[in-house]
Amino acid sequence: MDLVELRKRRKALHWSKILPYLPYVFQSGVAVLLLILMIAFSAWYTRFLQHIPEGLPIGWIMILLLGPAVIYSGFRTYIHPADSVFLLPQEASMSTYFKPAFWSGILYKLSGTYAILLVLWPLYQRSDGIRHPFWIWLIVLLLLKLAGAYGAWQELKIASHRARAGFRLLRWCVLLLLLAAWVWQPAWKSLLFLILVVVNYVLALRFPMKHRVPWENLIAAEKASAANNMLVLGWFVDVPAEGQGVSPRRWLDWIGKRISWSREGAYRYLLTKTLVRGELLGIGARLTILGAILVGWCGRTWLGLGLYLFFVFLIGAQLSVLRHAHRDSSAALYYPLPSGARKKEAADLGSRTLAGAAVIMWLPLLPQGDGPLTYLGGSLVAGLILVYAMRSNWNRKWREEEED
Amino acid sequence: MNGTPVLQIEHLTGGYSLGRPVLHNIEFQVSPGEMVGLIGLNGAGKSTTMKHILGLMTPHQGGVSLLGHTREEDPEAYQAALAFVPESPLLYDELTVREHMEFAARAYSVAPEVYEERAAALLKLFRMEEKADSLSLHLSKGMKQKVMIMCAFIARPSLYVIDEPFLGLDPLGIRSLLDFMMDLKRSGASILLSSHILSTIENYCDRFVVLHQGSVIAQGTLKEIAQVARMPGATLEDIFYNLVKGGD
Repeated sequence: MDLVELRKRRKALHWSKILPYLPYVFQSGVAVLLLILMIAFSAWYTRFLQHIPEGLPIGWIMILLLGPAVIYSGFRTYIHPADSVFLLPQEASMSTYFKPAFWSGILYKLSGTYAILLVLWPLYQRSDGIRHPFWIWLIVLLLLKLAGAYGAWQELKIASHRARAGFRLLRWCVLLLLLAAWVWQPAWKSLLFLILVVVNYVLALRFPMKHRVPWENLIAAEKASAANNMLVLGWFVDVPAEGQGVSPRRWLDWIGKRISWSREGAYRYLLTKTLVRGELLGIGARLTILGAILVGWCGRTWLGLGLYLFFVFLIGAQLSVLRHAHRDSSAALYYPLPSGARKKEAADLGSRTLAGAAVIMWLPLLPQGDGPLTYLGGSLVAGLILVYAMRSNWNRKWREEEED
Repeated sequence: MNGTPVLQIEHLTGGYSLGRPVLHNIEFQVSPGEMVGLIGLNGAGKSTTMKHILGLMTPHQGGVSLLGHTREEDPEAYQAALAFVPESPLLYDELTVREHMEFAARAYSVAPEVYEERAAALLKLFRMEEKADSLSLHLSKGMKQKVMIMCAFIARPSLYVIDEPFLGLDPLGIRSLLDFMMDLKRSGASILLSSHILSTIENYCDRFVVLHQGSVIAQGTLKEIAQVARMPGATLEDIFYNLVKGGD
């Protein structure tokens, strides 16, 4: 069997499922809004660059924005669960199948990292202290990306779950450390440091016990990647949202216990657990933290209000995916749930969670004494009005979907 | 075991496309406190019959009624009167074993204290106490099947529809399940059970419905279907083999 051809075919099949949605993505209001926000950001950023505040921690901003981009690694292998049976005899030659996945994983994510660098570059040029030339930045980011991708790939092969988690943490620490060293140290010192650390990191990766081909990990990773793609598409168009990654999050087990014990509350219970253990919570929490940091940083300004509302909207767009949870699950058909419960509970849970996020992102404005007090109350009211408007929009949209 | 049937299937013709029905004029009933074995070869129409009972498919002709009412009359009451255990476990990855049972208890309006009592007993019976707080995606296939069974048994509906319950279960699990079903039956619950393990269900089911190529070719007690097959005193397996061989 030609394994390279097989992967190509699978990739084409995958994109043939995604591409039909793209026209809807462009037509959707979310896409237009994102475009408007991009234009607004560009205008603001240009003005900001002309009046950079004194003592702005540009080094930290570089690390904060480039760090996640350098760390993020993922590979689309298009591996199917049945492959662990049917491709097992070809295990010895599977590297030919995985090689394109590894390199294209690096290529796409590297272009994203370079795009962030390009946006940050004018800001970096205005920073004090050590400033490295652009072309060396490109090389260093490439090296970091290669080291990170190699580490992420080796992690997939590690047999023990705990060792895998440990090496993931090690990778994050190593990459952030190297990036920080590059930002703040002279080029020769940090490059020497980079080489030493990377060599040691690669050597350390040889120690844990590994699978030759980590079938189960690859299948799980592929499932999660495919589900993430659908999750992103779900912001714009109506797509199934099954197959999202699940984390136990034991410390959140208490959530859902107090939901009323009734047939009406049954679906709310299921949906709450789905939110608590699914990727949506992680995405929402990250956006809320980022939103809170940015809102706090901007203080009681119009920009702060704009960012605050933008993040409320962005988190709301993510939470709207709750509508699709378990929609295609036949298991729910077997339980006597009240009709209309799914739509109602998705809107209820989505808007309550969004209101919670809106309040959390508003909190950093409290300790800031400067700026009018009416701004403080007004911004919270504006955020909650947006939550209410999004909920009304969901109700209307989902009702129309049902009527169709 | 007499009285108004819990499940009544009358002249049921149905399938996935109108022109090519899978089921042809199916007729049988399940009475209160009765365990009925639905048996047939692969593709005989057992799962399609169950899908019609569950309301997942709409009959082309005829109908299904539960406690005298059809699904169209009151879908929620109809659904609440039955519990289903599918052939392949269908669980929510996000829920633990205990949470699955809690979800089922909530959906079937089982009181919290009754749920606690039943959940503890079922976890013990199926030896799942240690896995109670594990996410379902970390369970083996047999354990997943046990969770499906426990979820169905946490409620006490009038009818249990159980499709191939023994698949993936260990011998102790099979014994626990059969004993529990007998207890349920004695308490008045009705069970429609589909299985290929004929030697196992032979001693537990009160009656059998033999489906072949979408039609009922025999139904009744073991003795009655033995008469149809002209094999008095034969085992269910031999009777079944004779019936389907004759039907080809």
